[in-house]
Amino acid sequence: MRLIIRDDADAASSYVANYIIDRIKHFAPTPAHPFVLGLPTGSSPLGVYKNLVEKYKAGEISFENVVTFNMDEYIGIPRDHPESYHSFMWKHFFSHVNIHPNNVNILNGNAPDLEAECVGYEAKIKAVGGIDLFLAGIGEDGHIAFNEPGSSLASRTRVKTLAYDTILANSRFFDNDLDKVPKMALTVGVQTVLEAREVVVIILGARKALALQRCIEQGVNHMWTLSSLQLHPHPMIVCDEDATLELQVKTVKYFKSIEKVALAQGFQQILPSKIRTGPPRPAAPEPQTVLAVEVQSSSPTIDSPQPTTSRLLQATPATEYPVRSVSPEIDFIPDRMGSRIPELHFAPRLTPSPEMQKQKQIPATRVNAVGA
Amino acid sequence: MPSADRDYDTPSPLPENGMTKLTNCRLVRGDRLVWDDIWISSATGKILRSQATFYDELILPDKTIDLSGRIVSPGFIECQLNGAFGFNFSTLLDDEDQYGENVRELNRKLVQTGVTSYVPTVTSQTADLYRKVLPHLGPSGGSRVATDGAESLGAHVEGPFLNPGKNGVHNKQVLRQASSFADLEDMYGATNINPSPFSSNPIPIKMLTAAPELGNMTQLIPEVCARGIVYSIGHSEATYEEASAAVAAGATMITHLFNAMRPLHHRNPGIFGVLGIAESLPRPFFGVIADGIHLHPTTVKIAWNAHPEGFILVTDAMHMAGLPDGTYPWTNGEGEFFITKKGAVLLLEGSDTIAGSSITLIDCVNNFLNWSGATIPQAIKAVTTTPAAMLHVQGTKGSLDAGADADLVILSEENTDGRTTLVVDEVWKFGAKVFKRHAPPASI
Repeated sequence: MRLIIRDDADAASSYVANYIIDRIKHFAPTPAHPFVLGLPTGSSPLGVYKNLVEKYKAGEISFENVVTFNMDEYIGIPRDHPESYHSFMWKHFFSHVNIHPNNVNILNGNAPDLEAECVGYEAKIKAVGGIDLFLAGIGEDGHIAFNEPGSSLASRTRVKTLAYDTILANSRFFDNDLDKVPKMALTVGVQTVLEAREVVVIILGARKALALQRCIEQGVNHMWTLSSLQLHPHPMIVCDEDATLELQVKTVKYFKSIEKVALAQGFQQILPSKIRTGPPRPAAPEPQTVLAVEVQSSSPTIDSPQPTTSRLLQATPATEYPVRSVSPEIDFIPDRMGSRIPELHFAPRLTPSPEMQKQKQIPATRVNAVGA
Repeated sequence: MPSADRDYDTPSPLPENGMTKLTNCRLVRGDRLVWDDIWISSATGKILRSQATFYDELILPDKTIDLSGRIVSPGFIECQLNGAFGFNFSTLLDDEDQYGENVRELNRKLVQTGVTSYVPTVTSQTADLYRKVLPHLGPSGGSRVATDGAESLGAHVEGPFLNPGKNGVHNKQVLRQASSFADLEDMYGATNINPSPFSSNPIPIKMLTAAPELGNMTQLIPEVCARGIVYSIGHSEATYEEASAAVAAGATMITHLFNAMRPLHHRNPGIFGVLGIAESLPRPFFGVIADGIHLHPTTVKIAWNAHPEGFILVTDAMHMAGLPDGTYPWTNGEGEFFITKKGAVLLLEGSDTIAGSSITLIDCVNNFLNWSGATIPQAIKAVTTTPAAMLHVQGTKGSLDAGADADLVILSEENTDGRTTLVVDEVWKFGAKVFKRHAPPASI
């Protein structure tokens, strides 16, 4: 986890914008090898968009070969409603830069089949090779996208009912009329975000301080869905001083010193080069959730539960950078002492070998299986 | 939604779609100048709903033009123009084709002044002239060709049902009174004033100026309005009561307020009085000639303050508009005269009699801007949104809202000696650029 602390919101926004621009430039995207960017809406990223637009207008960056995926969209309000996330993105970003509409992906909250829309969205992300950088903001309750407290950390793109607090908070955008506020939304899942090769979160203001504290200093918890970022190999949180109010002084000093020392050493806290340039396409396989243990059914059921944490850990493309612990070669697996004794020269043993026991005591197998 | 299996390997050159995005500009929206982009299409000739175009059509504009902070206004609408560039609409030519050709040439020149649509005005004439010229002056924008230049929204017949006491420079000999609608049909030609049941083509006449106190004119107003024609009070001796009756009958416009009507008197406010709301009647629109000659600047300011939503700037320009200074022959049908043009001032030769104006609409806007203390969008409204509403073309003309015709004027501001002057830099008609000012600016 990288935590970058800047004096104020402007400095934090500009840091994130510059970081994204550096990433895109280093990636050197082409039409066949686009940079895939995940994008949020809300008040936190406004400054980032503003900076990106300014840099585009100054000719410092092109979004020609950038593919975007947005996090979420309301269900049941017209696409061009001023409060829709389509409108937000158009107003604050897409209308000002040279991104091609074919490269823009936003969930359709008016799709006739919302489930199919969600499944299709995940498929689209896979089809372009996964998300290179997912930019995110958080809510006061630590939610990422519309994954509100209690959302499964293994969740994927789906229909989500909004919490009453969120509906209340949103009513200010809908004439303070609760009836006009959308009650449901489509959102990418926590898992969808965690599968991005990098996640950058911008957190601004004192109101978000508790959420930041929960996500940084406490454990992974579905009540603060952003805390799942602790399981990601390349997360970065950028915040302003106000957002650190609930953190321990020790924590703040620690992360600041890390950045300071790294800078002094001329060593930016950068990603492995393979992540920075993206996988060579189309040769490289798309990042997938690969389960170490083969299970019969693809989704967990009562009969065959799957531990969530192991899936989270393995969700990320861990094979693309050096793995420190190396499994021993097959040659070094010690064999059983008994197997070294030439069997032919002896009469049948008095003590049966485990294999023989197995064959004889069939009923015991069932007992073992239950215990396993 | 775009398909998931997009082919990134074969980028094909994008086809031309005729769309242009104007950026880094201030749009005249209501009473404000708003920093925003505007997308227009030369294919449809309309202003686009940019967000819907982006998400639905999945296309980007061919061109993006940086206007470096200049002002984008809807194209100007001129409601009273007697002629320009040497051509007078109230002229009878032997060759009718030549008349049409002259109108088309005028349209191409007029658009360069920022006027993208207008109401060609025919003064008091004989029935013979009306019948011959009106078919050439009807709405001309149907084919939506940008290079045709300014577009007629229909003709304005200013006369001949006028009060001889307020004839201005109109020929008294031709003035008439109407007792029935048949008199109007006889004068203008039935096909010019009655919609044809066999055709959807609009009738040539869009606006009619008449004195309501003469004959049965007030009773005829509803019939005029029923044909989609704007009835305008003008060249009239009407009292406040008579003018109010005309407004109640459907009059929605006053032709060049203060000129050719009784002056405001405190015991009888005359036509000007209907701008009050004493009779609970809707207040009409009114044209004002802000050339600095026809009206005192303060009079213009009073009129604007009385009813800003009805305030329309007009030039009432003669055919000498757009010509160099000099002496030109002119006739009102009564005799031959010579008019001396010096700048925007037209005088009958050897006298001090005002013989109309030769001002351009942008100069009227600039005068008004500096006399009244109005903001730039308020001044521009008087030649865009307000005349469009008067002529029942709001939403199509005089607006920068999506769906309106992409008739635009790009203006730059010049400040000299504390006076703000708007200069027409570019003119766009139906989404295509038809005029660009060269430096140094060409004098018109």
